[in-house]
Amino acid sequence: MNEHRRQILEMLSQGKITADEAERLIAALDKNAASESATVGRTTPTTRYKYLRVLVDSDSGGNPHQGPVKVNIRVPMNLLRAGVRLAGLIPPQARDHVNQALRQKGIPFDINQIKPDNLEDLVDQLNELTIDVDANNKGGSGEEKVKVRVFCE
Amino acid sequence: MIPLVGVINVKHWPRSRSFRLWIPLFLLWLLLLPFAILLLPIFCVVCLVCRVNPFQAIATFWSILAGLRDTHIEIDNRDALVLIRIL
Repeated sequence: MNEHRRQILEMLSQGKITADEAERLIAALDKNAASESATVGRTTPTTRYKYLRVLVDSDSGGNPHQGPVKVNIRVPMNLLRAGVRLAGLIPPQARDHVNQALRQKGIPFDINQIKPDNLEDLVDQLNELTIDVDANNKGGSGEEKVKVRVFCE
Repeated sequence: MIPLVGVINVKHWPRSRSFRLWIPLFLLWLLLLPFAILLLPIFCVVCLVCRVNPFQAIATFWSILAGLRDTHIEIDNRDALVLIRIL
């Protein structure tokens, strides 16, 4: 029982309002609650991000030959989707070569198992991807700080 | 929709030296369209020889082209800033 409903019942028990008034107030409360839940239901679908962002911020720490480097890349998710769809265009005879090459590299992966639906799921799962790398490299010419962020927006 | 304009911006140190190039990609597509139509039968034959659905291949290449829109690449270091945007 929520607080508003309890207050209405208390007012009724104290005789401040009549039973009819209490019924109307409770009905109004129920109506508000229903409209609020409908609004929440409409506004909370899974967010589909539009871009994959890669940010690199590197500071050479006083190295005179190498200044700070900043990389800012924004790749549309639609491009990634189209790119992974390319896997479906690999000719069957080439797939065997790809599988063989993968096995030689120690990756037991069968490219024939890649289906368009799986690829779509794969790209959709990227929405939750966030990679943060913060590294300090101590070299002869000073301390080098590198920050890498990969995320969707 | 396929990209219509590409922007390449290069700034050398000192940043007053700047090079900005707008590439009207829509003109490029118009120029390439007759070649694409001419090459389409050859492309379809190659796809069929390789046992790839030509319609699927065309749709994929088209979606890659369309997906390039809004790409933004920016690299900034001590010597220069390079900015590539596809609009």
